[in-house]
Amino acid sequence: MSEKLSRRSWIESLCGGLGAVGLAGMFAPEARAASGFPNFPPRAKHVILLFMAGGPSQLDLFDPKPALAKFAGQRPPSVDLRTERVTGGLLPSSFAFRPQGQSGIPVSELLPHLAGVIDELCVIRSMYTFNPTHNPARFLFYTGSITTVRPSMGAWISYGLGTENRNLPGFVVLSPDAGYSYLWRSGFLPSEHQGTYFNDAETEPEKMIRYLRNTQMDATAQRRQLDLIQVLNRRHEAAAGPDRFLDARIQAMETAYRMQLEALDVFDIRKEPEAVRAEYGTTPFANGCLLARRLVEKGVRCVHVYYGQGQPWDDHKDIHANLVKRCPDMDQAAAALIRDLKQRGLLKETLVVWGGEFGRTPVSENGDGRDHNPYGFTMWMAGGGAKGGLAYGNTDEFGFQAVENRVSIHDLHATILYLLGIDHEKLTYRYAGRDFRLTDVAGQVVRGAIA
Amino acid sequence: MGGCCLALLAAVVPLAAQTDGAALFESRIRPVLAAKCYPCHSSRLKSPMGGFTLDTRAGLRKGGASGPVLIPGKPEESRLLAALRYNDPHLRMPPTGKLPAEVIANFAAWIAAGAPDPREDAGTPGAGAARAPAIEKGRAWWAFQPVREMAPPQVMESAWPRTKIDAFLLAKLEACGLKPSPPADARDLIRRASLDLTGLAPSYEEVAAFAADSSPQAYDRLIEQLLASPHYGERWGRYWLDVARYAEDNQNNGPTNPYYPYAWRYRDWVIEALNQDVPYDRFVELQLAADQMPGVPRDQWRALGYLGIGPVTHKDGRLSRDVLLTFAADDWDERIDAVSRGLLGLTVSCARCHDHKFDPISTQDYYSLAGVFASTSAVERPLFEIDPQTESRFLWLEQRIHELTYVANLLEKEPGTKPAESAAKAARFHAELRTLQAEVDALGQRYPELPKEIARYAAIGRVGMAKPRSEDAPFMNAVYDASLWVDGSDPDLTMLEYRPGQARDLPVFQRGNVDQPGPPAPRRFPAVLAKAPDAAFRSGSGRLDLAQKIFTDAAPLAARVMVNRVWAWHLGKPLVGTPSDFGAQGEPPSHPELLDDLAARFIAHGWSLKWLHREIMRSAAYRQSSRARADCERIDPTNRLQWRMNARRMDIEAYRDAVLRAAGTMDESLYGPSRDLDAPGNTRRTIYATVSRQTLHTIFGLYDLPDPSQHSPGREVTTTALQQLFVLNSPFFQQQAAALAGRVSGEPDRKAQIRALYRRVLARDPGADELDLAITYLNRDPLERYAQALLATNEFLYWP
Repeated sequence: MSEKLSRRSWIESLCGGLGAVGLAGMFAPEARAASGFPNFPPRAKHVILLFMAGGPSQLDLFDPKPALAKFAGQRPPSVDLRTERVTGGLLPSSFAFRPQGQSGIPVSELLPHLAGVIDELCVIRSMYTFNPTHNPARFLFYTGSITTVRPSMGAWISYGLGTENRNLPGFVVLSPDAGYSYLWRSGFLPSEHQGTYFNDAETEPEKMIRYLRNTQMDATAQRRQLDLIQVLNRRHEAAAGPDRFLDARIQAMETAYRMQLEALDVFDIRKEPEAVRAEYGTTPFANGCLLARRLVEKGVRCVHVYYGQGQPWDDHKDIHANLVKRCPDMDQAAAALIRDLKQRGLLKETLVVWGGEFGRTPVSENGDGRDHNPYGFTMWMAGGGAKGGLAYGNTDEFGFQAVENRVSIHDLHATILYLLGIDHEKLTYRYAGRDFRLTDVAGQVVRGAIA
Repeated sequence: MGGCCLALLAAVVPLAAQTDGAALFESRIRPVLAAKCYPCHSSRLKSPMGGFTLDTRAGLRKGGASGPVLIPGKPEESRLLAALRYNDPHLRMPPTGKLPAEVIANFAAWIAAGAPDPREDAGTPGAGAARAPAIEKGRAWWAFQPVREMAPPQVMESAWPRTKIDAFLLAKLEACGLKPSPPADARDLIRRASLDLTGLAPSYEEVAAFAADSSPQAYDRLIEQLLASPHYGERWGRYWLDVARYAEDNQNNGPTNPYYPYAWRYRDWVIEALNQDVPYDRFVELQLAADQMPGVPRDQWRALGYLGIGPVTHKDGRLSRDVLLTFAADDWDERIDAVSRGLLGLTVSCARCHDHKFDPISTQDYYSLAGVFASTSAVERPLFEIDPQTESRFLWLEQRIHELTYVANLLEKEPGTKPAESAAKAARFHAELRTLQAEVDALGQRYPELPKEIARYAAIGRVGMAKPRSEDAPFMNAVYDASLWVDGSDPDLTMLEYRPGQARDLPVFQRGNVDQPGPPAPRRFPAVLAKAPDAAFRSGSGRLDLAQKIFTDAAPLAARVMVNRVWAWHLGKPLVGTPSDFGAQGEPPSHPELLDDLAARFIAHGWSLKWLHREIMRSAAYRQSSRARADCERIDPTNRLQWRMNARRMDIEAYRDAVLRAAGTMDESLYGPSRDLDAPGNTRRTIYATVSRQTLHTIFGLYDLPDPSQHSPGREVTTTALQQLFVLNSPFFQQQAAALAGRVSGEPDRKAQIRALYRRVLARDPGADELDLAITYLNRDPLERYAQALLATNEFLYWP
């Protein structure tokens, strides 16, 4: 507890010395969080999740399979390659892989920047999940369940650990697409733990946050108006008697007022030096990665950054051209984030996780595409206690099914929570007659992926 | 998929504590097999590794390609144990890493004990049955007991009680050494009652008149007046819509689960029914089975929205039969949840994969309810009179044409690697569509609206989220009796099939897996609640039987649950702290006798909600001041004993409505299609705003509207800065403040303007210092900013 407080005051000093009243709780004055967490000393204090909706192809990015070329166009009987859609023969990757860094982990030529930071990455090549369809698989990824109403991982983390900067939400979602809001809900957890969404296709904070700026008054005029409101509020409370809600709202008004300035600053990536912005790039995803770093720096617990609108990585056809188009900005921004965090000393306490809801098939679909593949795919982690420079687990010779050191989506959740100092079996919430967990009844911490 | 709560793997209990072999297997062996072995060695895999499966007893006994692995009674000769111990470099299991020594020791002990494996009883619901509380024992649970009127307890301060309720409350207060609070003043009381019953704050004139009326009947008259207002239904309708998880679309509005253009008709029905004080039992029966109840006019079938606008998953025809059947089972599960938690305060959904761990609900019970919903299909039914055969045919045609259009389009857009086959199938579907279209045209001769509706719905199958033809078209989102079947005969294309008039019993899906059907589960009421041993449902889908059982066999429970909800909506806190869970995991009631007495009298008064409102609102408890008292707070900080009224803040509906009313801009008309909260010029009451599961409006999200994708036991109340940004900076507040200022700008002078603003916003006159404060402010700032400040005050949003 005391560690939390000292950390908070440190952040406070970074934020320009907000007074004690500033901690009254911008987003969560009544933060009903769990108690007793972390269970053990955490390796990471923050999580940044880079989400590639649609399911990026492990076979073209991180999981080279020479056997695909050998059996190109065939369907060897040794493996049952059937998925939900009708598929053809094996489709070799059209991209070259070369060993990179000290670790020598092979990385596709599509990802030169990530290749440069490969020694920071723990590449899990043996992921698997339990549903071949986008939405259920995304629910699994986000909530650990295909049921559509469970809390998002970020909400669980916010609920478990609370926020470090009470002037900012504990769980922030950055995406050009608000359509996935069902993925960052708090479900049955108290609603202050739901993800707060910001549109990272915008760079002006007032366009990202609804009602952030008053269009009719400047700050002094608004201060006068707020002073009036607060005088009336205090008079009212004196007459009505002390009340938690009345107090909370008086404080919330003040923090709202200050937030207009604070958020204008924190959310404004244009305040970064040109050189830093150039490192990341200028696409929405680059904005999101850079903003994620700024937010983590200010104490936000959990940031989810979505790549693009809809499900861009869903390459049922024309996968070569699509990847050539899509990879460069993802690669540049994700790698810049790792380097930037490292430079600032934040990488050791910030876990970065990259992946999609599933991967893709080694066999072709529509001639030059790949179908959904929940049986084996790649994700990577970096920083925050993840073991850098490690390729963990393996798929079969065609990259279809995870066979060695298999990591289920529940195992990944358990591991993320573990790195945050949370025992995934202890983070529970009583609802509708039973205790719920992010990992349901499953999940094993992947010790081998931890530094 | 396995929805359960205890991490069995975590605990390693000394085996000495284990006596029962089956329990040993269930608690120590099966979880390890499931977590560590099934992924590669399951009979559900297409090619289990080494040809070895251990998810069935037979598989485990038989062994794999290289022979048996298990010799019961002889752990040292069992290769299973050798593999677990990593003795043999070529046989180390699981390959992901050696299991902890205690776990291996458990296996050794289990094999030594003869490897008891209760899975041989594959036809029964499994070992869970042994754990389920026995039915007879279960019937003794307090919430299932009959309700009866209770004699009021003796109290010392006998002058305080005004109604029977008060005696129960006072007795407990006195027992704890507490005294109730003095009555609220007239201002607070009329504000409290008006917001409570209509969601609208009283005007200055109404407050003044009430305060001036010293007659003892003034308060009762006020209650009657409010109950008679059509705005009563708008207020209490919104409460019910939280229970009913009301929304007008789905989370991902796909081609097979598009949004519900006529959902608003259900919302309107709820408002009307409450205004007419339709008895609660009938109110619910209509929502489950209006179309099967004799003599109910078709217009009342709008009530079926309770089932007809529930959340539905998109079912992509390219997915396998098992996946689509699981999605369908998810939909049925949601209906079970909405009915069981919403109407009975029971968490029946817990029994989908195993018998309920805490309540006497078995998987049999679960699947016998699921069968009702598997035999019920959500559709758009005509509002106009139509003969039953024609209607049934129309509904089937609408579903079939939509399905054919959807799959044909799928095959044409993405022919896959078998283009010739896909084209042939699509052609076949088109041929069927042409035949059906002839029938549709014929229908159109008699009912011109039907072909239009079919065309609209079919178009969604082709393009996805189509706009409705018109939300005013004469249809309602409802249900009819047609069972859903998933046809997986074509490995490349799974189709949905609806069979009107043909109900289906589901089997128990073992461990919730649709591909592991167990014994049949005939449709019936949960055994622990059923009065007669043979409670099988016989009419149609069984919706009407179900509705009737709720109010016969389970009437005490249903009454307790609703009385508790109504109590919470009136007083801000329930008697049972878990309003949708009256089971063993729920909280016990704070005042059990009071709850039972009220529930018994609620039933005796014909389930009249208006009776219940009167009974509660006339009590001295309800009329107490809400002011905090330090002495009581020390003893009962959460006011569980009701030593004062709970002060609240308005919810978003009341707040937004109050702003519109103060500004004089509210369009008070009742009923009609929904519009977006932000639509230009939308000044209707908030209950008429669109509620979306896909994108819940920012303001609803900020102000705690519960997620409409599931039944909500009650609203959270949060106070956040983002809410205040809405108040301080949003165009809505700015526009309403300007309109408000405009209303008073005609007053002769500043003071008169300020007084008029106070009256409109706070329903009172300003004090001298408040006037001074206002005048000082207005020396520099314009009137509309002052008006906005008043709308932003705590006093305006306070609900004393």
